[in-house]
Amino acid sequence: MVEVLFASTVTLTAPLLLAALGGLTSERSGVMNIGLEGKLLVAAWATGFVGAASQNPLLGLLAGICLAVAMSLLHLLLTQTFRIDHIVSGMGINALSIGGTSFASKGLGDRSQSVAGVFFPVWMYWILAAAAVLALALALDRTRGGLRLLAVGHDPDKSRQSGVDVGAVRLRALLATGLLCGLGGALIVTNATSFTDGMTGGRGYIALAALILGGWRPLPTLVACSVFGFVMALQLQLQGSELAGAAVPSQLWGALPYLVTLVALVGFLGKSQPPAGLGRP
Amino acid sequence: MKGLGWKEAALVIGAAALVWLMLTSIGVVPSEAIAGLVRGSVGGPAAWRQTLREMTPLLIAGLAVAVALRAGLFNIGADGQLLVGAAAAAVVALAVPGPVGVVLACAAAAAAGGLWAFPAGWIKVARGGHEVISTIMLNNIAVFLTLWLVRGPIKDPSVQTWTTPSLPTGTGIPSLVEAGVFRLNWALPLAILAAVAFGVWLQRTVGGFELRAVGANLTAAKVAGVDVDRIRIRAMVASGALAGLAGAVLVLAFEKRFYSNFSPGYGFDALGVALLAGNSAWGLLPSAFLFAALSAGTTSVQILGVPKGLSTVLLGLIIIVFAVLRYREACRDG
Repeated sequence: MVEVLFASTVTLTAPLLLAALGGLTSERSGVMNIGLEGKLLVAAWATGFVGAASQNPLLGLLAGICLAVAMSLLHLLLTQTFRIDHIVSGMGINALSIGGTSFASKGLGDRSQSVAGVFFPVWMYWILAAAAVLALALALDRTRGGLRLLAVGHDPDKSRQSGVDVGAVRLRALLATGLLCGLGGALIVTNATSFTDGMTGGRGYIALAALILGGWRPLPTLVACSVFGFVMALQLQLQGSELAGAAVPSQLWGALPYLVTLVALVGFLGKSQPPAGLGRP
Repeated sequence: MKGLGWKEAALVIGAAALVWLMLTSIGVVPSEAIAGLVRGSVGGPAAWRQTLREMTPLLIAGLAVAVALRAGLFNIGADGQLLVGAAAAAVVALAVPGPVGVVLACAAAAAAGGLWAFPAGWIKVARGGHEVISTIMLNNIAVFLTLWLVRGPIKDPSVQTWTTPSLPTGTGIPSLVEAGVFRLNWALPLAILAAVAFGVWLQRTVGGFELRAVGANLTAAKVAGVDVDRIRIRAMVASGALAGLAGAVLVLAFEKRFYSNFSPGYGFDALGVALLAGNSAWGLLPSAFLFAALSAGTTSVQILGVPKGLSTVLLGLIIIVFAVLRYREACRDG
């Protein structure tokens, strides 16, 4: 029981963490990113579709990452070159992704069935997620690149004046966002073994909430993701169980992760400080 | 092409190319799909009936999103508010038949929708939590809540499917025009009136001015002595109440019952309606019409083998392209 709960917590935390870290690199560079959900979804679809079509897990994963990176770069183009509102761009990209993957999975036929040799083992993603959180925790305020990222996100104008190429820093940040979300989406479809419409189920937004609750810092974000992952795992375990002798409707358990996210927003937000330059050109 | 740079032109062409590529990739001739889209939305009385029917909830929900947007808040939760509103309307109208029931059902839907939006407004103002996240969470909770209701407490016990009983005849919003297959419900002119009233209120009253001030520059409004917190919470609750009303109209004018998976995503289309309309309340009318035509059109081209996801893709592209063009326009006007 406890082992199952623990394994299931890790399974559900890893994609959240990858997405949240993707959000972290973007938002720390000053680019607000509501579009994590869409990037997870396109990566999940492409990984399943290309993986099954080619019977090659590497090609599948690469396709997922490429599509997520493309969406991330579209966000960069829209917010930096065309200067549109970051939230509007994110919502547009989410709509594009939800509609596009639904269109493609129906129009091109569902080939992402569970077949051996289509996906990489999930532990590979767990290791990558752990490596990513460690790398970010160590690099963010100790390396040249990390400090530049923080500087650009804190005050883009001053960074520009002191000779930092804001555009280049943001390009790298958004490439990382695409890569991390690509891995997260690939893991989601690997866990589920086949693609279904809207299968990310709002996890991109929960990851965003975890990022905010973690104060835009890697290790606290890991903690927040683990809490949400644990609640999701608990929800699966508690399905069909009773509370104080009375049957609990399955929908209540289903709603639990979202309720907890909402309550967390109310209760723990007080001291969380967003990057000062978030949303600024 | 004054003021339209090559970058904007490239974006528009890229968007069109994407749609063309998507259609071709699944073996559909794009010109046939577009002709089918037009036929299915404005080609004949049955198509018009469907487009105007879709326009009704989209206009009201679009108005809902616009109210919050004018105060600088993104209400992504219109879908959830619409769901609880529709469920509340169905429950009340089933309990109280006749015109009185219709009025009470609308009131209950507005109350339910407003109540569902309140936490998002409060979390934003009191705790600084972003309304996009809280409204998405409230959407998911609303889906589970209404699913539980319609599978249990308010389910019609005489049928297998997850639905409430149908409203008795005489309980509902009646048709204004019935000619052959064409129908126009009273709800649409009322919704248009509401959008016009909002436009006038926004331009001509102190409340409307304060709402715009809060949306345009929060700090400036605060310094000028506007109670920004109260206005933002009120805007969110009013937005939720309107979205709830959109749900009531769907139940009372068209569906006559509440069932599982009630909203195919009206709340998200409504966001597109409000963003496309931009700063003007009048703009909501053509914007809601366009999205309604798209929705009716894409439903009809499903026969050609075009998946429904196309309409969501078009929603995304329209949001993006118009945001770009509007920014460009704003720069040109200084």
